[in-house]
Amino acid sequence: MVANIIFGIGITALTGALATVAGSAEDTESNIGSQGDPNSQVQLAPQMGFLHRIFNKAVAGEPPAYGLWCALGAGLAWAFMAMQVNAVLAIVIGSVLAVLVQGVYATTAYLGRTASLAKFGQPVYVDILKSMTSVTMAHAFIAVFCVVTLCHLINGALGHPFPLPLLGLIWGIALGAAGSATGNPYYGKERQYQNQKFGAGVPISASGNIVRYAEAGERNSLDNGFFTHKIGGSASGICFGLIVFLELWRTILFDKISAGWGAIVVGILMILIFTVVDRYIEVWARKNYGPYMEAKVAS
Amino acid sequence: MTAVAAKPQAGGAMNPTAMAVGVVMLLIILALCWYVSPGLGLMALIGVTIGGILIGFGTHFIPVGGAPAAMGQAPGIATGVAMLAAGAGLAGLFGGAWAAEQGQVVAIVTGGVGGGLMMAITCMMVNFVYVFGMGIPSASGKVAKDPITGDTQAEFKSQGTEGHGLPFVSFVGGVTGGFLGGAGGTLIYLQLLRLYEAKLPALMGIPATQVMPIAVAAAGMFAVGLFLVNAVLTAYNITGTIEGPHDPKFKRWPRSIVASAVASALCGFVAILIVAL
Repeated sequence: MVANIIFGIGITALTGALATVAGSAEDTESNIGSQGDPNSQVQLAPQMGFLHRIFNKAVAGEPPAYGLWCALGAGLAWAFMAMQVNAVLAIVIGSVLAVLVQGVYATTAYLGRTASLAKFGQPVYVDILKSMTSVTMAHAFIAVFCVVTLCHLINGALGHPFPLPLLGLIWGIALGAAGSATGNPYYGKERQYQNQKFGAGVPISASGNIVRYAEAGERNSLDNGFFTHKIGGSASGICFGLIVFLELWRTILFDKISAGWGAIVVGILMILIFTVVDRYIEVWARKNYGPYMEAKVAS
Repeated sequence: MTAVAAKPQAGGAMNPTAMAVGVVMLLIILALCWYVSPGLGLMALIGVTIGGILIGFGTHFIPVGGAPAAMGQAPGIATGVAMLAAGAGLAGLFGGAWAAEQGQVVAIVTGGVGGGLMMAITCMMVNFVYVFGMGIPSASGKVAKDPITGDTQAEFKSQGTEGHGLPFVSFVGGVTGGFLGGAGGTLIYLQLLRLYEAKLPALMGIPATQVMPIAVAAAGMFAVGLFLVNAVLTAYNITGTIEGPHDPKFKRWPRSIVASAVASALCGFVAILIVAL
């Protein structure tokens, strides 16, 4: 009994670590590929007369895209394992094949989206296509590999009833949701609009006027990935890592108490703790940053 | 007119005739199910419909700001409403399916808590990034005061924006939406699983133990599919973005409930036909 719990906690910790890496890689991949909601500005910029060298592959949201790639990786790994291929090798091959699909997706999406801007004079940069696509594929491989591995651990070691491909779909969508929710504002506001005031939202009138120049030459998406990884990527990793770790942790440790109600009570307590932390952050910001204008003027 | 003073526009109007047609369609689908598979099949369809309604209603609570939120131009979470709702609800379904052996009530509540926990972590991290990564406090664009905390909002909106971040009421809305979505998804899964466990062994001519993986996978896939159907329907109803339960768009929920009930019943009927015919 105790050995089972210790084993479960070990697996839970490992899946939490894998999820943290996956979340971080996912956000960085989506920022280099400019796949999240901030891509609306990348698409808008040429229409406002601001030509750029930013990658542009947002033909699907991050959650369905990662749902597809993770389900594909998990499904292929599952098929290879059914053919008696070693599990580690099967997961690696499955993830590689899924990432090939991601590469095709990235290439066609960039060409399609950028070609649609031809009437505004936006060129398709072949060097951008060659240098960015491989980097997004590398990051996507890390994310997909980590998700497929954690799904395999959840299914094989912890005994979740869902088959591997279905777990890949579920956690792929959750990964995309957590990564885009946490990482998008940092890429959209803090990086694309680095020329705007720090500590305030981007005025709607500034839409489309994204920063296009770097320290030397024109800015490209690799610069964006380097910049956003430090906070946006890390926060996305922590977010997805916490989701996976705490969901498994409360189940593994407290599921047997009071016929399942133990895990429910612990889950509610954790929600309350996060509620208090969130409220603290909100109040801290109001006190320390203060209002932008007098309350009377604002109202 | 500022967003604070904005009233629900024509998009929020209810169409009684369309809603009545929706209710009639729902009754027809239920009657067809009763004809094809009375008893267990009909009970499963009612459960699936209720689960779909929970998902559709729950999605209205989730604060999603879409692309403007990604630039700090509008409050909410910077992603698609259907995607975030699906992410939270499926995380709940994951937990609920795990607890399926412990009874329906425990499994459904477990699924709800899983979805709520996912949203609590996500909403907290969103505010973390806004405050500590970008130096921006939360401010609603739709209400002058936070309905829960009473915090004034207008003076914390930066110039030229409709607000940013997640005010406390949006956080609570996100957790509530995640809870309802996770519970609804789990209810759909459990109903279909019970039906498939009962019907598939005779249909396929194999023992119940062998049919379990097939039943689990099929019920899980239908639950995921129904989740996306209802989340997308609601996304249309709120035209892509909503701040949470305090947003005027929230009042459109009756329309979405009818649509979710009809769509869930139709999809559930197809799921039942697999074993009924």
